[in-house]
Amino acid sequence: MMETDNATSLLAELTPGELHRFSRQIILPEFGIEAQRRLKSGSVLLVGLGGLGSPAALYLAAAGVGRIGLVDADVVEDTNLQRQVVHGQAMLGRLKNESAEARMRDLNPAVCIERHDVRLGIDNVLALVAQYDVVIDGSDNFPTRYLVNDACVKLGKPDVYGGVLRFDGQLSVFDARKGPCYRCLFPEPPPMELAPNCAEAGVLGVLPGVIGSLQATEAIKLLAGIGSPMIGRMLVYDGLDMSFNTLHIAKAHDCPVCSQAPNDIFLKETAMVCAAPVGQSISPGALQARLEAMDDLVIVDVRNPAEWLPGRIPGAIGWPRPELEQALHQTGAAPPLPRDRDIVLVCQSGMRSVSVIRAMVAAGYDPQRLYNLEQGMARWSGEVQIG
Amino acid sequence: MAVLMVPSSLRRYTQQQSRINLSVGSIEEVLKRFCDSSSELRNHLFSGSALRKFIVVCINGQDIRLLQGLQTPVTDADEIQIIASVAGG
Repeated sequence: MMETDNATSLLAELTPGELHRFSRQIILPEFGIEAQRRLKSGSVLLVGLGGLGSPAALYLAAAGVGRIGLVDADVVEDTNLQRQVVHGQAMLGRLKNESAEARMRDLNPAVCIERHDVRLGIDNVLALVAQYDVVIDGSDNFPTRYLVNDACVKLGKPDVYGGVLRFDGQLSVFDARKGPCYRCLFPEPPPMELAPNCAEAGVLGVLPGVIGSLQATEAIKLLAGIGSPMIGRMLVYDGLDMSFNTLHIAKAHDCPVCSQAPNDIFLKETAMVCAAPVGQSISPGALQARLEAMDDLVIVDVRNPAEWLPGRIPGAIGWPRPELEQALHQTGAAPPLPRDRDIVLVCQSGMRSVSVIRAMVAAGYDPQRLYNLEQGMARWSGEVQIG
Repeated sequence: MAVLMVPSSLRRYTQQQSRINLSVGSIEEVLKRFCDSSSELRNHLFSGSALRKFIVVCINGQDIRLLQGLQTPVTDADEIQIIASVAGG
């Protein structure tokens, strides 16, 4: 364990089979037998078995980390397989934890895998984090990231952070005992309309592979006690430019979490809110009723064309957000959509459509006539038109 | 000229350009010039006159909060980077 760095005698012994299996890293002078024994004695909690968690799970198991906890309650879907490489076609519909466990056991049968088939929440985060030496945050939403950070600060654990979106990746190690925490850097999450997730904004499949592998590298370094961890630094990766930049980040002396004594830190949920609601919102049921009543409505689906394939609300105009916003910005041109009719904006989860409404109001549209479909197509259970 | 590096999430405001060359005197001027093209972009980066709490700006790899914040001087040899927090995993 990390706390017993100097107590080598307490570290797990390696079997002849392990000495052989891990020989390629044991021969590294900076690593050696002692680092391998530390890995075997160490433990990692992996939060999320998605794009980041997939490569991390594989490399942690392969490297010989003794005990790995997996936290995820989701099942494997086919849209995951473009980047979540620990899962496979045969595991569609099964729990991600079950899928990852099977693959990790195949890679290294000696690893102890502890499945926590639950959603990480305020009620279980402290109990889970307390059981492990290092936490890898591979979650896909801001509330979970803040919970992981706050629990790690309170319990004095390193949080190996990775985040991806589109072509960008970020990596850091937040350890409030030695440097800044996540809240020092980003005290608050973005408002919902400025916080698209991978389903909304997209992500190049290989990108979480890069960042998740780097997270595994940092976790292995922390457990093995080698190298310089990314504490106080953030790596920013741009896959389009193929650039890696390391930024120096500092502890915020007024940080709402890590400036306090651990006993004074009380966890709370981080709510995602809209900055300033504009326009109206309409529930799927209310929209269905207006469609059935043949109300005069314009429905505009602002998702990307690829997202229309599984289905659009019948009669919806497909107008991807970037093109629509560009049309709104063209001064002197005729308004791209009628100003004298009710317009319902639709996206996948109701976030991009809020952003479009904001742009339409800025372009002079009446906010009383603009409606956001609540939670977008994700909650739409009415009729759809395919293609 | 100083170079402003734009994260891919904001490149829809820059015709997908990842780097913009600017000749200005301070970080505040860099960001003001950058936001000139779009009020929506300005709203993304600023709340009033302060940077939003999910945006970090660095100059030559240093968080401007470690320097003089928005008043940090910029020379033609400098590289400025905007980092927006991302939650995707």
